[in-house]
Amino acid sequence: MAAQQGDVDELFDVKNAYYIGSYQQCINEAQKVKPSTPEKEVERDMFLYRAYVAQRKYAVVMDDIKASSSPELQAVKMFAEYRSNEGKRSEPISVQDCDCKRDAIVAELDKKMAKSVDAANTTFLLMAASIYYHEMNSDAALRTLHQGESLECMAMTIQVLLSLERVDLARKELKKMQEQDEDATLTQLSTAWVNIAVGGEKLQDAYYIFQEMSDKYSPTLLLLNGQAACHMAHNKWEEAEGVLQEALDKDSSHPETLINLIVLTQHLGKAPEVTNRYLSQLKDAHRAHRFLKDYLAKENEFDRLAMQYAPTATV
Amino acid sequence: MMLTKFETKSARVKGLSFHPKRPWILASLHNGVIQLWDYRMCTLIDKFDEHDGPVRGIDFHKQQPLFVSGGDDYKIKVWNYKLRRCLFTLLGHLDYIRTTFFHHEYPWILSASDDQTIRIWNWQSRTCVCVLTGHNHYVMCAQFHPSEDLVVSASLDQTVRVWDISGLRKKNLSPGAVETDVRGISGVDLFGASDAVVKHVLEGHDRGVNWAAFHPTMPLIVSGADDRQVKIWRMNESKAWELDTCRGHYNNVSCAVFHPRQELILSNSEDKSIRVWDMSKRTGVQTFRRDHDRFWVLGAHPNLNLFAAGHDSGMLVFKLERERPAYAVYGNMLYYVKERFLRQLDFNSSKDTAVMQLRSGSKFPVFSMSYNPAENAVLLCTRATNLENSTYDLYSIPKESDSQNPDAPEGKRSSGLTAVWVARNRFAVLDRMHSLLIKNLKNEIVKKVQVPSCEEIFYAGTGSLLLRDADGVTLFDVQQKRSLATVKIAKVKYVVWSADTSHVALLAKHAIMICNRKLESLCNIHENIRVKSGAWDESGVFIYTTSNHIKYALTSGDHGIIRTLDLPIYVTRVRGNSVYCLDRECRPRVLTIDPTEYRFKLALVNRKYEEVLHMVRNAKLVGQSIIAYLQKKGYPEVALHFVKDEKTRFSLALECGNIEVALEAAKALDERGCWERLGEAALLQGHHQVVEMCYQRTKNFDKLTFLYLITGNLAKLRKMMKIAEIRKDMSGHYQGALYLGDVSERVRILKNCGQKSLAYLTAATHGMDEEAEALKETFDPEKETVPEVDLNAQLLQPPPPINPLDTNWPLLTVSKGFFEGAIAAKGKAGQMAADMDVDAPGGEGWGDDAELQLEEDGFMDAQDGLGEEGGAAKEEGGGWEVEEDLDLPPELELSAGAGGGVEDGFFVPPTKGMSPTQLWCNNSQLPVDHVLAGSFETAMRLLHDQVGVVQFGPYKQLFMQTLSRGRTCYLGLPSLPCLRGNPQRNWKDCGAKQGLPAVGLRLSDLIARLQQCYQLTTAGRFEEAVERFRAILLSVPLLVVDNKQEIAEAQQLITICREYIVGLTMETERKKLPKDTLDQQKRLCEMAAYFTHCSLQPVHMVLVLRTALNLFFKLKNFKTAASFARRLLELGPKPEVAQQTRKILAACEKTLTDAHQLNYDPHNPFDLCAASYTPLYRGRPVEKCPLSGACYCPPYKGQVCRVTQVTEIGKDVIGLRVSPLQFR
Repeated sequence: MAAQQGDVDELFDVKNAYYIGSYQQCINEAQKVKPSTPEKEVERDMFLYRAYVAQRKYAVVMDDIKASSSPELQAVKMFAEYRSNEGKRSEPISVQDCDCKRDAIVAELDKKMAKSVDAANTTFLLMAASIYYHEMNSDAALRTLHQGESLECMAMTIQVLLSLERVDLARKELKKMQEQDEDATLTQLSTAWVNIAVGGEKLQDAYYIFQEMSDKYSPTLLLLNGQAACHMAHNKWEEAEGVLQEALDKDSSHPETLINLIVLTQHLGKAPEVTNRYLSQLKDAHRAHRFLKDYLAKENEFDRLAMQYAPTATV
Repeated sequence: MMLTKFETKSARVKGLSFHPKRPWILASLHNGVIQLWDYRMCTLIDKFDEHDGPVRGIDFHKQQPLFVSGGDDYKIKVWNYKLRRCLFTLLGHLDYIRTTFFHHEYPWILSASDDQTIRIWNWQSRTCVCVLTGHNHYVMCAQFHPSEDLVVSASLDQTVRVWDISGLRKKNLSPGAVETDVRGISGVDLFGASDAVVKHVLEGHDRGVNWAAFHPTMPLIVSGADDRQVKIWRMNESKAWELDTCRGHYNNVSCAVFHPRQELILSNSEDKSIRVWDMSKRTGVQTFRRDHDRFWVLGAHPNLNLFAAGHDSGMLVFKLERERPAYAVYGNMLYYVKERFLRQLDFNSSKDTAVMQLRSGSKFPVFSMSYNPAENAVLLCTRATNLENSTYDLYSIPKESDSQNPDAPEGKRSSGLTAVWVARNRFAVLDRMHSLLIKNLKNEIVKKVQVPSCEEIFYAGTGSLLLRDADGVTLFDVQQKRSLATVKIAKVKYVVWSADTSHVALLAKHAIMICNRKLESLCNIHENIRVKSGAWDESGVFIYTTSNHIKYALTSGDHGIIRTLDLPIYVTRVRGNSVYCLDRECRPRVLTIDPTEYRFKLALVNRKYEEVLHMVRNAKLVGQSIIAYLQKKGYPEVALHFVKDEKTRFSLALECGNIEVALEAAKALDERGCWERLGEAALLQGHHQVVEMCYQRTKNFDKLTFLYLITGNLAKLRKMMKIAEIRKDMSGHYQGALYLGDVSERVRILKNCGQKSLAYLTAATHGMDEEAEALKETFDPEKETVPEVDLNAQLLQPPPPINPLDTNWPLLTVSKGFFEGAIAAKGKAGQMAADMDVDAPGGEGWGDDAELQLEEDGFMDAQDGLGEEGGAAKEEGGGWEVEEDLDLPPELELSAGAGGGVEDGFFVPPTKGMSPTQLWCNNSQLPVDHVLAGSFETAMRLLHDQVGVVQFGPYKQLFMQTLSRGRTCYLGLPSLPCLRGNPQRNWKDCGAKQGLPAVGLRLSDLIARLQQCYQLTTAGRFEEAVERFRAILLSVPLLVVDNKQEIAEAQQLITICREYIVGLTMETERKKLPKDTLDQQKRLCEMAAYFTHCSLQPVHMVLVLRTALNLFFKLKNFKTAASFARRLLELGPKPEVAQQTRKILAACEKTLTDAHQLNYDPHNPFDLCAASYTPLYRGRPVEKCPLSGACYCPPYKGQVCRVTQVTEIGKDVIGLRVSPLQFR
């Protein structure tokens, strides 16, 4: 049961919109809402800026948050800086340049983490963990999150655990979340992630969670791709097609949608050209996406392995 | 619980009678009036006021439009309600008449009177046929038995009597019986035999008995008396006895009746109550009280679940229980409660099954239902008379159930007014304190929610509820615990959401409100008759029922009747023209409706004019009502195009400003009024040509003249002047002259009409001196004075028009409305369709040799060909669906719990777990599974070992694509890298360890891709075709198939590809070879001949054979050519080809020899070396490709196969593995 039973969370709409990936709505709501306390105001700003980060509007965040802003917002700014230095296009020099800056940010973060950290500043923990997770340093991410107790810390822990293929631990963490507030949006979403990872009968539950949220709020790319992942895990390719088409209509270059379409078109038996088209789109717009990094690595691996074979006789 | 359906206010009601078929009831009043009510429409239909004093007896005839009444004026009157008058009066009783009843079969009326007699009358002969004497006080009631020759009577002498009237029937109605046999009123004939005799006298009441009635089927009688008791009596042939007594009324019992279908008795009394008694238990089940009115009479409807009661100030029509079935619709399924079962109806297949039996224990029927598709669970709410005792049951519906004898699962029962699902694992309960509880699937409370005052809750999509209070409905978010929107509407009873929950219909007793998702009211509909139910059709129209109609409502508020209903129904679903519903007996039914009208209106509202047009053309929808509707709703331009009647057309055209159409119509009508109206309208638009025509038609010379003036049309203006002159219209004539500036004409006019002075002045002023002088001469100086010419006079001269206005006023161009376009285009459409399918088949690759004339059906043949092959292979199939994967319990799957320790606050990060993809490799030996898992190394090894792949280059694309379909992704928290999903083909039962990837490459897809290759082949694009065949061929080892048949098909697919690749590559090669020398030509012929031995589709073989035939004919190898010709003819080519082939064959047969020796022996079977294109006759050593099976001369061993370009010729391998079956 929720701890603060009975009282209405004035930032509910803001948070909810953020978690389901409805960033613009989050921003709109944040600008509308009138927080009752200064703490709430900071919390609101935190979500506001994080929504901007999610929209890749890093400049807004970096310009808006001043040195005098609260430590929570400083953390968001740090994350925004980190994210903004993502290799955007295929310019190798700038990528390297970016990597340098990123490394600097991470080094700075490492230093901060080495000292004692204000565990009450959940935002800092979250932002730090996010950076570590991006850096594929799941150990550090988990260690950081371990210090926090908020639902979101737990949700992120679950996500990291899942990426480590530790469904068993993710389930434990989820149980904790459910004890804290089973009906919270984050708990629901985390349940869905874990259910997808568990598979089997749980897939249906995961699907319902995404679908209910789409029905109730709005079908965001996050929710639609979640639904699509469930459908595909169910081998319901036609159903997935409908959902992904909807997602594609909303944003024609959303990387996860494109990746799922690459999967889907093949399973639907479409001509290879169709699949390639999505792949090209992805290469065009999201060169730094982890999928493509993996993809390129695999291509190299293929070439290397192929060299080990040759015909006995040549013409 | 008693549900009042209708109430009237009037003087005391003493008698009641339901009409057996129509929704009518007669009430006879203490003030002498008889009222005829429609209790469904709640209207008074008629009043009959001829009795003098109270009317107590009243009864409808069952078949004829008659009723009978009896009053305190001693009169029995028979009325015809159609003619609305009393037909005749029967006189004979000597005191008040208490009851009058028709016999259900014979032309008899039974009357009971205070004169202590009961009389039977024949209303056809209008005579009394029998008098029953015996009671020694007022007879308060007498009724016929519904089927036997019996009468029951009740009297203030404290007895109830049963009379046998079989004698009367025999006498009156036996063949040959004549009316005149009945004389007088004695009831005793000449021979002393009585027509009616007392059979039983029932004594037991110790006060006067007011009412007695037979049971409709059982030998029972119920009576009510002033001793405040209701008694039940039983009788048989010989005797009758008191069965039991119902005590409870505390004043005189006025009336008591049996429930026609249930084991119940209803009674009412002067104690101001109606009571319902259980017949078997003799206990009161329900009591209904009024504050001030004593009850006097009861009536039961013969067929329906309806009763009526008359009291001091009116009457009421009521039923004892709700007849509305509890039901819920999800997708194609209807769930409903019938008797003690939850049933499921599949709308598509009409399969109706009982899915479970309900726990018994409540005497109340299920009130409402909420279904949860995710959990296949259901909430059934039961309302008790005392609302606080209401309960609900939570059931999990058994997955499989025997419809004949369904399971009765244990449900969970709790108290609560209403329970509704709010999420897949949560439901909301409105408890008796009217607070809201959220419960989980275990029926445990997880949350209590403070809500605004609320009497009822309804579903409102996930996480939301509609809360109803006294005068409105509130949309409430359960999670956020806050109200989102409120709308005012009194006493909503039902809520119907559209399938996409974008709209909701709120149904109250006499009102419907349609709102959007945000609960903003879109329209309000008032109904005079009760609203019963509704459902949304697929186009977003709300179809609802009232007690006697099916109606529709558009969200725009437009509504209307679709059809009438005899009895109320409860709509469950609407699809197309079918309305699915439950009737009051809870039987699922499908009614057909004509949706044309609302579809039409919907199309109009949505401006889907092509649909409108289609409907108008096909549905013959045009009627005055539709046109009126269109006009009213502001679519005159639409209406215009449906109307043939010129008058309507004309006014519609004017309404939408379409002058052309209006003109057309006006011409057809040619009425003055039309021309006038058209003229006005045209003038407003500056359409002066039409204005001119209108003025001409209406002979409105003045206006016409003025029109010519302002348009500067001097020629016509002059003409008008002439016309005026002819018409002797002096002023018009003068006006014309004035407009034209024609002074001499004016002078002439003035002169002619005797205005000499004016004429003179005009002439003088305008300097027409001669004329002036001449006029001056005519003045008689004696009598007349020549007027003074004003020297300062200014000339009145109209300015000459600079540029006459020939054309109409320019108007802004407006795009033509849909209808103008569509109507104009009508009739042109057909011509376009004809010349579509001219499509020349390509032919570059086939060259001139073949003189090709291919047509499209060649492609079709190829398809058929493959189909047959597939069919032939089927024999081997069947029975191979064994999958024996172990199902591990979920506890086992997650045993490894290393790491993640939280002890002592010291955090140890967990180690990486085993990913599903790693498991895939462990679980499979099929190459594709390894590719999907991303284990290229093992995948390559498998392909190398199984089919001898040594050159992986061409596989790169396939590997990368395959890899990329092995992982889906979904987003976790914002701004974090996404999570990955691993679709598995055995997700249902793989557990955590037995997973295998979803393959995503199907045999059928590959087979389908053959068609494209065939097409390319047909089109002669050989190199492209070869590329595609090869792509298919290389994909085959990456298949996973389930059974032997498919393994065979996969192998067959390889063969097809190989044959084509070999043949087409050879042909391409051949094309490149020189043909200068004889040897070169011979080689060409040989290769052409070998090509005919590739296994190809007939359509291609025809082409190949024709090429070979022509080449060999040219080479004068007539014998071989003839064999090609024969083979060609066997394939049944097209007539032209066949004809030509026959000619060549005839030519060949003249000299059946070969001019040259070639390396080709059609009779000796051979394989073709795919590298050197030489025949390898049987018995010669051959090396084969391990994948494609292509043959090679031994020297090629160890090289890369020409067909696959990836495998090594002659390599020793395990063989193709595409199914787990191949590893057993």
